Amino acid sequence: MVAQVERKRLTAGLTVTQKVFVRSRNGGATKIVREHYLRDDIPCLSKLCNLCPSIMKPDAKGEFQKFTLSDTPLKLANGGHHYLVLDTNIVLHAIDLVENVHGFFDVLVPQTVLEEVRNRSVPIYTRLRALCKSDDKRFVVFHNEFSEDTYVAREANESINDRNDRAIRRTCSWFQKHLNDNSPQLSVNIIFLCNDNDNRAKAITEGIDARTLAEYVEALPNADELRDLVPTDSSELQRVNEIAYPEYYSTARLMGGIKNGTLYQGIVNISSYNFLEGAVNVPSFKKPLLLLGRERLNRAFNGDSVVVELLPKSQWREPSSQIIEESAVEANDTPEDEEELKISDQERRLLAQDAMVSHKTQPTDEVASRIQPTAKVVGIIRRSWRFYVGQIAPTSVSENSGSAPSNCFVILMDKCLPKIRIRTRKAPELLGKRIVVAIDSWPSTSKFPEGHFVRSLGDVESAEAETEALLLEHDVEYRPFSKNVLDCLPSEGHDWKVPTDLDGDEFIKKRKDLRAKLVCSIDPPNCQDIDDALHAQLLPNGNYEVGVHIADVTHFVKAGTALDAEGASRGTSVYLVDKRIDMLPMLLGTDLCSLNPYVERFAFSVIWELDSDANIVKVDFMKSIIKSREAFSYEKAQLRIDDESNQDDLTKGMRILLQLSRKLKQKRLDAGALNLASPEVKVHMDSETSDPAEVEIKKQLATNSLVEEFMLLANISVARKNFDAFPQTAMLRRHANPPATNFENLNDMLRVRKGMAVSLESSKALADSLDRCEDPADPYFNTLLRIMATRCMMAAEYFSSGSYGYPEFRHYGLAVDIYTHFTSPIRRYCDVVAHRQLAAAIGYEPLDLSHRDKGKMETVCKNINRRHRNAQFAGRASIEYYVGQVMKNNESTQLGYAIRVFSNGIVVLVPKFGIEGLIKLESLGDINSARFDEENYSLTFTDHTGAERTIAVFDQVEVDIKSVLDEVTSKRKAELFLK
Amino acid sequence: MSNIEFYSAEGLRMDGRRWNELRRFECRTNTHPSSSDGSSYVEQGNSKVICLVNGPMEPENRSQLSTQKATLEVNLNIASFSTTERKKRLKSEKRTQELITTLERTFEQAIVTKIYPRTLISINIHVLSQDGGLLASCTNAVTLALIDAGIAMYDYISAVSAGLFDTTPLLDLNALEENVMSTLTVGIVGKSEKLALLLLEDKVPLDRLESILAISIAGSHRIRDIMDKEVRRHGKVRLSKSSS
Repeated sequence: MVAQVERKRLTAGLTVTQKVFVRSRNGGATKIVREHYLRDDIPCLSKLCNLCPSIMKPDAKGEFQKFTLSDTPLKLANGGHHYLVLDTNIVLHAIDLVENVHGFFDVLVPQTVLEEVRNRSVPIYTRLRALCKSDDKRFVVFHNEFSEDTYVAREANESINDRNDRAIRRTCSWFQKHLNDNSPQLSVNIIFLCNDNDNRAKAITEGIDARTLAEYVEALPNADELRDLVPTDSSELQRVNEIAYPEYYSTARLMGGIKNGTLYQGIVNISSYNFLEGAVNVPSFKKPLLLLGRERLNRAFNGDSVVVELLPKSQWREPSSQIIEESAVEANDTPEDEEELKISDQERRLLAQDAMVSHKTQPTDEVASRIQPTAKVVGIIRRSWRFYVGQIAPTSVSENSGSAPSNCFVILMDKCLPKIRIRTRKAPELLGKRIVVAIDSWPSTSKFPEGHFVRSLGDVESAEAETEALLLEHDVEYRPFSKNVLDCLPSEGHDWKVPTDLDGDEFIKKRKDLRAKLVCSIDPPNCQDIDDALHAQLLPNGNYEVGVHIADVTHFVKAGTALDAEGASRGTSVYLVDKRIDMLPMLLGTDLCSLNPYVERFAFSVIWELDSDANIVKVDFMKSIIKSREAFSYEKAQLRIDDESNQDDLTKGMRILLQLSRKLKQKRLDAGALNLASPEVKVHMDSETSDPAEVEIKKQLATNSLVEEFMLLANISVARKNFDAFPQTAMLRRHANPPATNFENLNDMLRVRKGMAVSLESSKALADSLDRCEDPADPYFNTLLRIMATRCMMAAEYFSSGSYGYPEFRHYGLAVDIYTHFTSPIRRYCDVVAHRQLAAAIGYEPLDLSHRDKGKMETVCKNINRRHRNAQFAGRASIEYYVGQVMKNNESTQLGYAIRVFSNGIVVLVPKFGIEGLIKLESLGDINSARFDEENYSLTFTDHTGAERTIAVFDQVEVDIKSVLDEVTSKRKAELFLK
Repeated sequence: MSNIEFYSAEGLRMDGRRWNELRRFECRTNTHPSSSDGSSYVEQGNSKVICLVNGPMEPENRSQLSTQKATLEVNLNIASFSTTERKKRLKSEKRTQELITTLERTFEQAIVTKIYPRTLISINIHVLSQDGGLLASCTNAVTLALIDAGIAMYDYISAVSAGLFDTTPLLDLNALEENVMSTLTVGIVGKSEKLALLLLEDKVPLDRLESILAISIAGSHRIRDIMDKEVRRHGKVRLSKSSS
């Protein structure tokens, strides 16, 4: 529908028109009219232009836009000096190429393109915007929709896409003419990059130099480097139909279906044991909907947001108790496969086996309760595609390909994902390397998704490549800090000192001078970023004064700066075995903010008056200046406290702290705080070769818990204060009660195997029942149970106080009603926000707007929750990799525990190394003789010696640990073999 | 998350204006000469308001009158078709009541009420279309209608809304912008910097308030000039009619 709208001139250079469009919402149509102002003062931002500098208008700060497009743009053999204009499809499909540092300079992005990109993909839009912001690529946005010269009104019977294409072409021709008229010094051509044939043809008839991406890349002087990065164009590849996936439904049908309740929307979660089985959680069903098999999954990736349709009840099934890995099923596929085969034979056999199992067991009540509804994917709302790391499958590379591009498969490190078909000339060189690929599309006729090669990380199993792969896989930003971030640091660098004049400005006047206090810090050995320090002293009235001093990061990281934005987006520091990825630049983290001993530092202090039972009498918060007397490691602190001959004030203070911390801990445990366990280990590096040398279980000293108790206390006190001051937007952390269903399985196993049970009524009840579950024959059993209970818990999460009601603020694990993170601002962004909110709450400085806006706080919380989770996964993956390396030289036999039993394998945990591994039935013994007893969680089989063995959950088993290189994913892992 | 770029890095707002630009402002006075003593029509962007003034006159109910000054009575009628989604609004709605009270208080100070004791001035406002800045448009329409009715005022009251997006103050918000940022509406007395009206919805940090006030005062002055021009144009038409 198009309405003819008049334009109305307001003043010279400003015209108003109306944008009229019809929006359908909830089935009805709404006509929307918006004003649209057209102007003549939008600069072209080319340094060559003689006209545009005179028409500029300043922004609210009185600043003008910078002219970015170079005055000596790149010269091509066929095309001369040129600027580029990008079409939407180029940005959407080839953003990696556009971001490449070796090509694509002096680019003009029309606003039409920018808006189309934002409507299609927000992440790509963000990347495009980042390109426009950084100076080195010389990207500019031209607001063609707002310029009098380039605005086009939609015509009758013109589709919105045609209108946008026309607007982009209009921009190209205007820009060409504008430069011809206003830059006599150098003639610059406009090259319009467009992969849409129709649009390109029209552009050429209009006299615009329009090219496809491939044509343009070929014309570049460094075409060889870039050629492989050009995404595959699915229209060019007419491949044979390997498989016909069902087509997705139309958007209208999807929306209609979701609305009237026949279709459901949710996020796909592929089982980590079976890549052909996915589950979708939808609110209307208690159990997740199962997606079984390739066709039901219908090209959905792990993490995609999809629309599913329920299958008839006759097809509902229980989740398979089989373990299927892609590698096993289709190692023989070739990328150029032309056979008609739709489902490989092996795959079919597995499905049949599965079907047989479910037919054999007549649906008794027991089984009926396990049956889950099944569904199929009928549409994809949003892809979770990102960069993936993998390596080329050696079997898929043909040797005689020479330099002609050939197809090959990339097997991704993530086992839940299918392999990706890429087209490259470099396949033989890339064999045995970790490479990064991007996915372009997954047409319904192709069995595998199509992608393209992005870059190589290095050899498989080299520490650098593995670390980088790990960081990429967990979406951790590890690139060095950019220049505009580093520009936010104090100019004095390492020479920065606490000012001597304490009446200098209004802020320093508000700081309290605590340099006289005997402050010290206690951290792990070799800790460089010291977040926290403590002091304690006896007061004349018999109470104790205890102070926790936290690095004053927000003195350096001001809200709204590039540094702050970077910190917010990184969210947390990431600790790997051999590497630390900082959230904030080194200068701050390890020097200026770090509360190093013997130097004066700014701090944010929480000072309590505690009575002798560690009850809080009074609490004060203040920005302060401190001077740490000593930085202890946990062991050193412990030694000093234990040494009776030390009677100085500092040691006395530490003894007070220790004594109070014990009381605090007892109180916490009495309130029902959980004492959970994780199989965490630490990898020791050989100091000379920096090779991993040995693995050790993390130890706990009394001084560990000394620091921990006071940090908890500080976090709780700050949480209360911030919530008081900002009831809607305080940054808090909650830990939800675990739903009873999470414990069903564990409790059943406990009942069957040990005759015990854990109670879930409250965290107190859980803590007590965990204490009771002791097996006198096996002292480790209790710890094992705690590890398994931890896995049934919900994850703690950050949130802003407006998102939940007060009763839901509760931190289940710590058994407190309100909690936040305040004590590690160097390595966590939550703490930075908490610092700013506390500073505002005590009237030190006004709070930045973004921290009191509910919407923005929610975005921040969402991001830091995700980053926090990714950082944990990355850390664990790093440990797993290094444990695998250590095992290379230390193959041994260890004691393990079966923690899960499947019909074709068992999962064993080895506490000594924190390794958990699957032992498949094939390696256990004879497959055919195996009997799986689901009631008793046990598997009976004939082992290789011919003896019959039964293994059940919680059983102690002896296992051989070997380091094995997975042939398919090239991941080295410690593998377990039953002894 | 909203998918609109409210203020782009290039300094343009979603409708193509810069930070300190007003929307199209058009006004007419004496639009309904036969049904009222004074009338006006104001368009501020896509916000459209008609105002009719009757009085000073003797009211039906004398008991509420003041012997010292004129009584002001404001009626606000927001048409159900004035927003994109049709919605019937009741007069008793809190938001409407708040607007009415604000307008009454503003104009009690702006009109020289003491020269009209024992009378009633009735102001009827009809909102035909809403696109942000409702209070500002109403204030401007009332000013024009009062002038048209020949009621003595100390000076023009010209009003405009403004908001804060991150750190940039934005003048004259439309409905979409108003939804995402806290909005300040100011009414300025004539060419001075005196405030006759100041209403802030949601909150703004104190240190940013000054910049928002500054642009809204400048914007109000521009609106005063446009209104003044219209009053003078209309005055000339009247004069030429009466003299001929």
